[in-house]
Amino acid sequence: MADQIDNFEALMRQSLSGDQKTYTHLLRETSRFLRPFLAQRLNFTGEVDDLLQEILISIHKARHTYDGNRPYKPWAFAIARFRLSDHLRSHYADHLREAIDFDELEESLPKPVTETAVSYESIKEEVEKLPVKQASILRLMHHEGFTSKEVADKMGMTVTAVKVAAHRAYKILRSKLET
Amino acid sequence: MENIEEVISKLAQDSVTLNPAPHPFMITLKWTVLAAGYILLSLIISGVRPDIMIKLNEPWFVAEITILTGTFIATALSAALLSFPDIHQMRRLAFFPVIPFALFVLILFLAWHADSQPAPLPVHSFECTISIILFSMLPAVWTFFEMRKFASTHYHWGGSIALLSAFSVGALWLRLHEENDSIMHVVQWHYLPMLAIGILGLWLGKVMLKW
Repeated sequence: MADQIDNFEALMRQSLSGDQKTYTHLLRETSRFLRPFLAQRLNFTGEVDDLLQEILISIHKARHTYDGNRPYKPWAFAIARFRLSDHLRSHYADHLREAIDFDELEESLPKPVTETAVSYESIKEEVEKLPVKQASILRLMHHEGFTSKEVADKMGMTVTAVKVAAHRAYKILRSKLET
Repeated sequence: MENIEEVISKLAQDSVTLNPAPHPFMITLKWTVLAAGYILLSLIISGVRPDIMIKLNEPWFVAEITILTGTFIATALSAALLSFPDIHQMRRLAFFPVIPFALFVLILFLAWHADSQPAPLPVHSFECTISIILFSMLPAVWTFFEMRKFASTHYHWGGSIALLSAFSVGALWLRLHEENDSIMHVVQWHYLPMLAIGILGLWLGKVMLKW
């Protein structure tokens, strides 16, 4: 079996003829070469494992589209890339949904703290202790009076990213001010 | 989730003898034969345009029909390739419809130029688009049904090309059925709606071809 490792095409041909042992071997080798590909693109090991399982299931579902007469790896990588982009799309869509929720949250806040009870000047020191990007966003929005869109343009970020960063900064400040 | 080894052993247990999908060229051939049969049967039922013999002696009409047939074959081939996750490793061939489309635009332009005494516009207008859409329904359903048997990783493009392919079958039928010489009418109500159909296909592909 070891000398067959590189011959994925032959392994797949045998697998398609119902050889379960060869198929197990093929899937194991496939997961071996796909893991580094995913690890380079995802942050967490758990995420890599989950996606790898999804890709193996997709390879299983689509195995009839492979005939064993063309290179196996480009075929497997095409499926892996497809599932990876699906995964990333839904990952970022979740982030976007969170940002939309934040919009609603921001609107439902009773009063903007920086304009009434707490002025920017009074918490300036705390703001400067925040990560540089968050501090810059708050300074531009609440000291210099830019809108989130203008801040986004200035900092080369998306409006959503600015709002999310501001939201995180508010949370940090709130917890600091409450203690 | 389970660990990788468990998933692999479950998938292996589920593995049975499987026939690989046919080659995209064979799929294209099958679709082309079916489309030809569909057009032929429809022309028998709906009737061929009365002036067909005269029109077959006009070079621009023959060129238009030839290139429209070429467009159908190229889009069918592209749709077949796009049904495979790796485009059957023939990526360039998937872009092949660009050539007949470009030729098609050129031929329509030259035919319009050659039409020095423009043929009168027919009394109807959007009815042609509706007829083509209705006629294209069956090939569209068939193409999507066939494509769903495989595993497209380019479902937006796949959907768009599949609809363009089906629409070109409809356009071909109408040119052979309707007695109409106005190139302006043909461009406006037969071929321009193709662009909208292509855009609709981008969305439909996502709905129909996702797996």
